[in-house]
Amino acid sequence: MRIAVDLDLCQGHGVCCSEAPALFELDRDKVRVLDDSPPADQHAAARLAAKYCPTLAIKIQEEN
Amino acid sequence: MSEASPMIETQVTSATASAHGGSAPPRLSGGLPLLGHLLELRRAPIELFWRVRNECGEIGEMNWAGNRVVLLTGEAAQEAFFRAEEEQLDQAAAYPFMTPVFGRGVVFDGTPEQRRQAMRNQSLRDKMMRTHAETIAAETRRIMERLGESGEIDLLDFFSELTLYTSSACLIGKEFREELTPEYFRVFYELEKGTDAIAYVNPNLPLPVFRKRDRARARLVELLTEVFERRARREGGTRELFDVLLAIRNPDGTPRYTIDQVTGMFISMMFAGHHTTSGTAAWTLIELLRNPGAIEKVRAEVDAIYADGREVSYQALREIPELEAGIKESLRLHPPLIILMRKVAYDFHYDGYTVPAGKLVAVSPAVSNRMPECFPDPDRFDPSRYAEGREEDRHHAMAWIPFGAGRHRCVGAAFAMMQLKAIFSDLLLRYEFELSQPPESYRNDHSKMVVQLRQPCRARYRRRVA
Repeated sequence: MRIAVDLDLCQGHGVCCSEAPALFELDRDKVRVLDDSPPADQHAAARLAAKYCPTLAIKIQEEN
Repeated sequence: MSEASPMIETQVTSATASAHGGSAPPRLSGGLPLLGHLLELRRAPIELFWRVRNECGEIGEMNWAGNRVVLLTGEAAQEAFFRAEEEQLDQAAAYPFMTPVFGRGVVFDGTPEQRRQAMRNQSLRDKMMRTHAETIAAETRRIMERLGESGEIDLLDFFSELTLYTSSACLIGKEFREELTPEYFRVFYELEKGTDAIAYVNPNLPLPVFRKRDRARARLVELLTEVFERRARREGGTRELFDVLLAIRNPDGTPRYTIDQVTGMFISMMFAGHHTTSGTAAWTLIELLRNPGAIEKVRAEVDAIYADGREVSYQALREIPELEAGIKESLRLHPPLIILMRKVAYDFHYDGYTVPAGKLVAVSPAVSNRMPECFPDPDRFDPSRYAEGREEDRHHAMAWIPFGAGRHRCVGAAFAMMQLKAIFSDLLLRYEFELSQPPESYRNDHSKMVVQLRQPCRARYRRRVA
């Protein structure tokens, strides 16, 4: 899995930090991705972060 | 700032437009001398915007009393608008009808960087949402206590009052909210009705609509003066946002902010989230009630979710798919803002066209949300658009734009959705509703830039049997 954030769209709501605190951190008013290819046990949290991002700024690419 | 002789400014810049390469956007036909399409804008704005799309294509220019407004429609053109840098497309100068409502020196004085940082005041951040959800659930229960067994409400009045309490309690403070009375939402209604597009000629013309607006604003200053004088004298209590602001002193000991300015801040904080959320709540109830089977589906979902006795404040932050789809579909069909505007700070290019600095560019959620190429059968209320697999809001993120999109997407969108979910969870668990009027009689009033439901817009209710 690869995580990409479109910083043009991020407004720093911090929903991803609540959904997946191991993967995202708020850096002033934008998010910072702590791990853009997370281990399997973080995949579900990453998907929730992308799903609930209020600005749809998080894109997740699943690997086969 | 914004109202400083726009006519002269646009004439000068359009004369130099050809020097910048791209061609000028096609101009919309019709329009009167001097006023251009302004009367059409005041009479039937959505029809006017569709006329631009149908006649000129994805880029076309209107004339509002000498203000040249270039409307961009379609996913690609709208994406260019939403992705533009704030320094290029400036929100501040685009809404002259708001200046007298907010008052001078209040809302749009910040630089783009300062506005980006507004999020840092934290009140809209995810961490705060749980607390807000509790506050909203408590306010909804409080207003429900007044409803009794059965009766009739006016949807505009009911949801205006409720959202005034919820927004002020969440965003300003719980003590401040206790100061508010129904008079406040009536004053807000007058302010909102004062946003006549004739402001594009001059927002201070001696017209009844503007006199009423100015009287309403003066009354609000009067009401808040009493509130703050009382709060300054009292012992104890919490120091909330406005108490802190009013206590700030300049080096010479004079107050940094006047009550007039704080009133402006109050209006601006409430404005973004008040008529928008209140109108959406009313439309959600209307659409659920006038589309066969819709309310039953949502009620069954809400009943099932809360059957275990869980708290509304907990669930409002999570999924309530049928209810959310109903809210989203109401937002798509009846976006609270029908046009979003920016002033071009330096030349804006799109597809071989150039919009020179000084003109306004705009997109219309009312048009975009009903483009048939993105939303099949666009006039139909169809909550299944948001079901897994279809998700038309996500697949067309630059076309499904009740909250705007891109850099300027409404920062209160998540708060608003949570608020609506909380309000309807409680209302539908405890009451049954039915429309009091013929279903087609519920209409928006588009004669002002701030859209409002046309009154009467009444519904009957009865307490559900447990």
